[in-house]
Amino acid sequence: MTILRVENLTMRFGGLVAVKDLSLSVEEGEILGMIGPNGAGKTTAFNMISGYYKPTEGQVFFQGQNITGLRPDQVCNRGLTRTFQVVKPFSHLTVLENVMVGAYAHTNKNQVARDKAREVLDFLGMGDKTELLAGGLPIALRKRLEIAKALATEPKMLLLDEAMAGLRPRETDEVIELVRKVSKQGVALLLVEHVMRVIMSLADRIVVIHHGEKIAEGEPQAVVRDKTVIDAYLGEAQVDA
Amino acid sequence: MKTTTNSQTKGKSQGGSLWQSIFMDWDRVQLVISFALLALLALSPLVVKSPYYMSIIILTTLYIFTGISWNIIAGFSGQLLIAHISFLAFGAYTTFVLYITYGITPWVGIFVGGVVAALLGLGMAFVTLRYGLKMDYFALFSIALMVALKALFLKWKFVGSTIGLTISLGEPGFSKMIFDTKEPYLYIALGLTVIGIMVQYRLYHSKMGKYFLAIREDEDAAAALGVNTSLYNTLALVIGGAMAGVGGGFYAMYVTHIEPPQVFDLGFNVEIMMAAPIIGGLGSLAGPVLGGVVNKPFAEFVRGFVAGGNPAVLPIVYGLFLISVILFLPRGLTGVVHDLYLKVRRRYTSNKA
Repeated sequence: MTILRVENLTMRFGGLVAVKDLSLSVEEGEILGMIGPNGAGKTTAFNMISGYYKPTEGQVFFQGQNITGLRPDQVCNRGLTRTFQVVKPFSHLTVLENVMVGAYAHTNKNQVARDKAREVLDFLGMGDKTELLAGGLPIALRKRLEIAKALATEPKMLLLDEAMAGLRPRETDEVIELVRKVSKQGVALLLVEHVMRVIMSLADRIVVIHHGEKIAEGEPQAVVRDKTVIDAYLGEAQVDA
Repeated sequence: MKTTTNSQTKGKSQGGSLWQSIFMDWDRVQLVISFALLALLALSPLVVKSPYYMSIIILTTLYIFTGISWNIIAGFSGQLLIAHISFLAFGAYTTFVLYITYGITPWVGIFVGGVVAALLGLGMAFVTLRYGLKMDYFALFSIALMVALKALFLKWKFVGSTIGLTISLGEPGFSKMIFDTKEPYLYIALGLTVIGIMVQYRLYHSKMGKYFLAIREDEDAAAALGVNTSLYNTLALVIGGAMAGVGGGFYAMYVTHIEPPQVFDLGFNVEIMMAAPIIGGLGSLAGPVLGGVVNKPFAEFVRGFVAGGNPAVLPIVYGLFLISVILFLPRGLTGVVHDLYLKVRRRYTSNKA
């Protein structure tokens, strides 16, 4: 069963075409990786899927329903939740309160939201951080909090925008494990990631974007051997690494 | 007892005595501080006999209530609403028109005034959302609206145009909310403020309150978690507007005369709406009360003892005072009390351990 289907998405900002005719689909329980150089249009695609941008052309279907043009909160309430590349903690609230905001998506009761938030934080190994202010957390924990907030909305699918960028290798490994755990619970995932190691170890399939267009799609091992992909992206990525 | 040593923690009670469950929870401590200060205001008539000082105490109490109404909009939901006083004016005019023209008791009138002010909030939210006004543009919009309303009320005969509206005192009477002593006014103001503090506390600990805070911290992030930011921004304006409207109705009954230059005025707006939460700590639960007990008495002290009859002195000294608070106490008096509280609590918990 296809959970997310994106058809011919195009986003123009004035004369600039940020995303051009992008189509992709994600199956239930699948992890789809999205890679591409900086400025390729990955985050723009994310913003269109999650309701932050209204696409110039094209449509987004989630669980068979057309969600194109819905507001971000409506998209979230359908079961599709995103995180942000630049983390957005509610700095002056505690970690628990941050996650409770997500948990309120399914309840009006404080106690239910609090229990759900605790459960999610325990699941992500942050059970001892509940009373800390989110603004004071180190970056690794703020990245993890971003995932916790999203998970508390009980999504059927998560969009993770560079959830591991800026982390040390060991921290990255921990988040990879977390993402696996989330995936095992049946949540479908769309990952935007720069760290190839992460994508290779997590993704079932990969979509490569370059200059706003999809240039390759397929299984990770096949995609990294693709000539166009190496020319457009991996060549430079390997220099980076 | 498990506690953490991090100074950024908020305590949560973990059983134990009632005293302990309050002491360990900063939000409840703020509630206790608020009610303790209100109790002092309530007992003040035992000592204070001069009508002049009683008047200061009554307005101090009212400014706490109006401060709470602004705290909910600016402090909780983070909307940069400057000219909040339009709500107060709507409540004041509604109460007076109902009383003077239709003979409706102010006990009903001030709450109708609250409803009318809430409708103004709804209208403001509609325009704001329709045209995507945020932050500084929203602030400018609120000021422009106030100026436009002032011009309208100055020309509008039904509400007394330039002369404004005055109630004839005549015979005092409970149903007319007209009294020949000051105490009844104080207890009405205190009643409103107690309700205001409870509303603020309940709101802060509800889903709606958490959504307000989330929007204040990061509107996009809140939307990503399913928060309908338009709806909750509107609710904040409606709730805060309604409270300011009720406060305006009472204010009118107390001062017995209102006119456009007085109730649509930015200087007065700062004094009656913004000063208490800013001095006390914007967005905190105890802020409006802690700031409120300093705000009006300080202004009157300057007016009565420092200014020496020179009307220019008050705005200068008062303005410098507010600027100093913003510069040197950005978290307000509540921030100072909170740091103190954490020290005491840490000593208490480490003694126990």
